[in-house]
Amino acid sequence: MWSQVKQQLAESTARFLTRFASMVPGLAALVVALLISSVVGCILAAVMRPLLSSMQFDERLARWGFPSVAEWSPKKSPTLLVSRAIAALVVLTGFLIGIASVDAEWTSQLARSVVAYVPNLLGAALVLLVGSVVARFLARSVLIGAVNLNLHYARLLSLGVKWLVVVLAVAMALEHLRIAPGIVELAFGILFGGIVFTLALAVGLGSKDLVTKSLERDTQKASGDKLEEPFRHI
Amino acid sequence: MEVEHIPEQTQEKVEQVDSADLVVGVIAELDQEGLAAVCDALRTLPGTPRVVVLRDERAASPGQSNPEAVEPSASPCHVVGWPLSGSGTPDTPVIGMAAAYQSVFAASEKLGARACCVIVSKLEAATAGWVRELARPLVERDLDLVVPNYARRKFEGLLNSSIISPLMRCLYGKRIHNPMGPDLGISRRLFQKMLATDRTAGAGGNRVHSFASVTPAALCENLQVCEVHLAARIYPATDWMNVSSLLAQILSPIFLDMERNAACWQRMRPSVSVPAIGEPLLISQDAGTVDISRMMESFQLGVRDLQEIWGLVLPPSTLLELRKLARLPSEQFRMPDELWVRIIYDFALAHRLRTINRDHLLKSMTPLYLAWVSSYAHDLETAGRTAMEERLERLSVAYESGKTYLVSRWRWPDRFNP
Repeated sequence: MWSQVKQQLAESTARFLTRFASMVPGLAALVVALLISSVVGCILAAVMRPLLSSMQFDERLARWGFPSVAEWSPKKSPTLLVSRAIAALVVLTGFLIGIASVDAEWTSQLARSVVAYVPNLLGAALVLLVGSVVARFLARSVLIGAVNLNLHYARLLSLGVKWLVVVLAVAMALEHLRIAPGIVELAFGILFGGIVFTLALAVGLGSKDLVTKSLERDTQKASGDKLEEPFRHI
Repeated sequence: MEVEHIPEQTQEKVEQVDSADLVVGVIAELDQEGLAAVCDALRTLPGTPRVVVLRDERAASPGQSNPEAVEPSASPCHVVGWPLSGSGTPDTPVIGMAAAYQSVFAASEKLGARACCVIVSKLEAATAGWVRELARPLVERDLDLVVPNYARRKFEGLLNSSIISPLMRCLYGKRIHNPMGPDLGISRRLFQKMLATDRTAGAGGNRVHSFASVTPAALCENLQVCEVHLAARIYPATDWMNVSSLLAQILSPIFLDMERNAACWQRMRPSVSVPAIGEPLLISQDAGTVDISRMMESFQLGVRDLQEIWGLVLPPSTLLELRKLARLPSEQFRMPDELWVRIIYDFALAHRLRTINRDHLLKSMTPLYLAWVSSYAHDLETAGRTAMEERLERLSVAYESGKTYLVSRWRWPDRFNP
């Protein structure tokens, strides 16, 4: 009996060592692939940075209507964001190549699921980008319009509109990524409703003065007391 | 031949008229009697030109929507009904006016007219003769552009006084009091140029706003311009809800023209007067106090809430000055001319560079404009005509002195940023 245990142990050790030995070159290849891809990524990033800077990429991006990209970028520089994204892409490619040398079947499965998920990722990124642009545009429109109407809560109104659109965009993006759809739906409902309720309260309370002024103006107009303003602009 | 601006029904009516020497587009509300008086006045022009009056059908009184030739005579004055208001709505009067100008130009071209006039305003002391005064230099002296110089009250036409007139004077070197009319007399040479420019610009999706572009076009082409002294215009009452839209509609074509004519205006030249016809009419100036609290409040709100937008457009030194101004009590509030001029130049540059959405940019200027109006109202509250003229002259000189700043920033927007 003891001899059978010893034999089984020896066989399993041998099997493990054989399998491990067969994986070592693959693991070494993975490390080498990661090292090489990191170096290539760094070189590419180092080349891209001055190239994009010379093209005034940051300013152009803002001029093309994507100033919000700067906000998400490291050190507020889209140039840095793009160069780092390129480096990360190269490292990821190196990682996939390295993994392929360890186990081809595992890699193909991983690649298949990653590729299948790419459209969702792209869709979500697009939704976020458009949401951010729309949020900024609407927030500015509301802010300027409200200031020109002499509304004292202009900034609050603008912020509310911005967050409404951002929350909507984030919820849509998460839905697209199929990340906890039930929770996202619930959270979105609560957040959206909360913002609308806050805005309604703020505007309702804040517009008391406006309504009073408007009524006073109407009363003055009706009684003919209103003085004609001399200012004519055009 | 340019016919795209002529409505189909109207084109038939125009075709009934063989040709004309002078085309007069009347956008202003005018009843049948007024129209007849205008025709009578135009008949007295030297050389008895054949006149076609295009009358805005929408502005006509009920029951007068189908006008015909007023009176056949040796020098007929044909009146043609015409939807001159174009695509404009009450919220976009400027777009409608630009379309009306293009319509008048197109009809004048079709009829082979020597000149055309566009009549938009109602004058306080209106006589039918004032339309003739606008047309006479075109017919008699073969001038290219006749602009009005209305008798003015100190608080009327403020957008013109604060921006349009001094900016045009500084850019193009001619002292014209009302460069955007809106009542203008235009020669064949000039309206043909405007039509051609519109065709070229329209092909690039960037239509020309004729009434804003006509004076810069004439000045850049070195055409002959004169002013005619007219009575005071009746200005529409201020719609405070709409000031920002008006500002955007008026300034947008001016800034677009600056971009188009950059090569022309960057040549430095001191400004000179243009020949004036007639005598200036003196009118009484109000001397009562004015309420500027609403405008001041708008400015203070702007300084508090629009910093993030102004920060993209204005240099830090300007922002600092604005913050200091906003803290001043109302009675001490004065906006220096130099500051105002720099603000206008920086906004023009931001419009060119598309720093932010152009509509946002121009509308965000409203509190600054109202601050200038408040400061101006403080200065002239009890002042008379001479003080007003002096005040506006100082402003114009500030515009001219600041031109080097504009040219530097225009040429090197990134390098030259004080």
